[in-house]
Amino acid sequence: MSAVLAGAAAPSIGAGAYRVADAEALRTRHRAWLAANLPACWRSDNPDYQGPSLDEGQAWEAELHRQGLWGVAWPKAYGGHGLTLREHLVANQEIGRLPMPESFNSIGKELAGPIILAIATEEQKKRYIPAILEMREIWCQGFSEPDSGSDLASLRTRAVKDGAAWRVTGQKIWTSGAHRAQRCLLLARTGTMESRHRGLSLFALKLDQPGVTVKPIKQMDGNAEFNEVFFDNALVEPEDALGEQEKGWAAAVRVLEVERGTNRMYRAWRLEEELKHLLTVCRSDPALARVINNPAYVQRIAQVQVDIEIHKRMVESVVDDLVAGASIGGRGSLIKQHWSEYHQRQAALSVEILDQASYPPSPAVARAQQRFRQVYLRARAETIYAGTTQIQLGIIADRILKLPREA
Amino acid sequence: MSDDPIREIAESAARAAALAAAMEPAAAARRLGEDGLLGVLAPEAVGGLGLPLAAAAAVVAATESALVPLPVGEAMLAARLLAGPAPEVASAIVAGEAIVAVATAGTLTLAGGTVTGTVGRAQAGLAARWLVAPATGGGAALLDLSAPGVAVEEEKGLDLERPPARVTATGAAAIALPADDAWAAFQADALLLRAAGALGAAEHCLGRAIDHLSNRRQFGKALVGFQGLRFELARQKLVLEGARAALGHALSVAGQDPRAEGIARLVARSACGDAAPAIIEAAIQLHGGMGFTWDLGLHRQLRRARDAALALDPVAARAALAGRLEQAWAA
Repeated sequence: MSAVLAGAAAPSIGAGAYRVADAEALRTRHRAWLAANLPACWRSDNPDYQGPSLDEGQAWEAELHRQGLWGVAWPKAYGGHGLTLREHLVANQEIGRLPMPESFNSIGKELAGPIILAIATEEQKKRYIPAILEMREIWCQGFSEPDSGSDLASLRTRAVKDGAAWRVTGQKIWTSGAHRAQRCLLLARTGTMESRHRGLSLFALKLDQPGVTVKPIKQMDGNAEFNEVFFDNALVEPEDALGEQEKGWAAAVRVLEVERGTNRMYRAWRLEEELKHLLTVCRSDPALARVINNPAYVQRIAQVQVDIEIHKRMVESVVDDLVAGASIGGRGSLIKQHWSEYHQRQAALSVEILDQASYPPSPAVARAQQRFRQVYLRARAETIYAGTTQIQLGIIADRILKLPREA
Repeated sequence: MSDDPIREIAESAARAAALAAAMEPAAAARRLGEDGLLGVLAPEAVGGLGLPLAAAAAVVAATESALVPLPVGEAMLAARLLAGPAPEVASAIVAGEAIVAVATAGTLTLAGGTVTGTVGRAQAGLAARWLVAPATGGGAALLDLSAPGVAVEEEKGLDLERPPARVTATGAAAIALPADDAWAAFQADALLLRAAGALGAAEHCLGRAIDHLSNRRQFGKALVGFQGLRFELARQKLVLEGARAALGHALSVAGQDPRAEGIARLVARSACGDAAPAIIEAAIQLHGGMGFTWDLGLHRQLRRARDAALALDPVAARAALAGRLEQAWAA
């Protein structure tokens, strides 16, 4: 643990001994450290914005971990800070409040890591988890396939035994970050097609090998963050099979249910930061200052803040319940559906308002226009990834409302 | 306080509300009073329980779902407000021996211990013995509706079972209630309890829609098996849970915000004022032709929830919130 965090974390912080005063001391430290250390050109509200390179991002994120901002609730034995989700929430609130670059390894930190901690062997945890936190291994998620999107249980990529090792053949798609990742959290079929989800197993496949081909897919926002990944007899070493064969997926689903409610915990505070950026810029421009005082826009802006407040409260109550040892059931779907839809409205509103700026726009206005055009386009993905709107509504109907199946 | 006393109160309120809903206002008040439900907020000195606002919210969720013919939230708040200035009145309200109504429109002119003027929209005013009404100077007045110089008449409104009343006072005796934190908290908390009641009723109506779709068969199967209807129910649940998150937070911090200066109340007013009537309207829609009938009865919850939404005034709440965004961001 870093000196900073050790100083902030009085002995009473940690399992079951949460004190508000300790959390506020931690918050003050995080806020001061981030304010002093986040490079100005990485702030997406800076007119001279220039995001980090991969190398710079890796170094930055490894430092965030050393400073106690990542790996907060992961066990110390694997390089985590051994605190609770409450301290994780505090760190995320402070990360969200700044217009900071997104993680290059969110799949490692928010998907692979929790699954590894739940189902992997002690040896595997010691190998994978520190490498994620120190940014030595970036992960991608090999779940979706061309013929298995929402219906994941129909996937066909096959892993067959080759002595103690496994050989993988098939294709994944929409694999974000595969072009820079070292490992793929791969869901592959080890049983029959008929066994559906019961015939699936999880692997930590190394991407740097001859049997793997990664082809970027250009996205509607002009970037190419997601990929097709082809496996042709690709090798999985015996020590990289995760969990019990054909039981890994069932365990992973339980982890994913929690993850849907807790991943990118900073998001509500980041979307609030987006609103803050928008309105700060508007106040600097005479035409935009008039627009945001128009009663019709006042209503739409305030509705975004209402949605943000609801989002924050939903996240905080999930943290309260998890810390108290309660289960959150399908509530992650409520949260995901809530934010993905209001953020799309927020993004469209931001673009609409900023288009009414004085001409020519100031550098600050031009920067905001550019940022929110990208946010607007990217937000279209948010009701698609991690389970589409239609999948989430199905989960709410089945698992939260527990509606009877057709009789 | 833990969840358990609140759950206990909620269960007790559900039982009492089911009985009280079929009674005349006076009998209903006595029934709720016997179970201690009208004294949830009032101090022990007047027979109350002195619990936080979240407990009162659980009570009104039950009484508004069941359509109890009394303004139960206002009674709980009036007993808390009057415990100091008029302890006998507070005790009578807590015991269910006297019904209190609250005027939300108009202002009475206070002069030398008497009031003059016209106020209105006092739910169940015809059945009430006491009235709390806004008065000149920013405070309120408590008057005895049976005293000389007071005339009470029914007003037209949406809610037919707890009809609003107009009260005209002509030099009637009254107790002045100062424009202090207690009165500010009364008014602000009354809105949160309207929200809690309307949202409780909305949840009840959504449950009835689910029951209906689970039992009604068309095209050879239960309607709830159709994805279009499952998604519609899921949408309403999403709206309900969003509003509940906003309300729960506002209730939990209400005690730290007696003058209603925080943003949590504005967020709850906006979210619940929009959500509650919309969910009930959807529940009516999902009942098909039967939904539009008098006898199915969902219009009864809708009339109240729409009235509550008018009081919550989501548009005004958002306009106020827009002026306080810095406060929201600093929290």
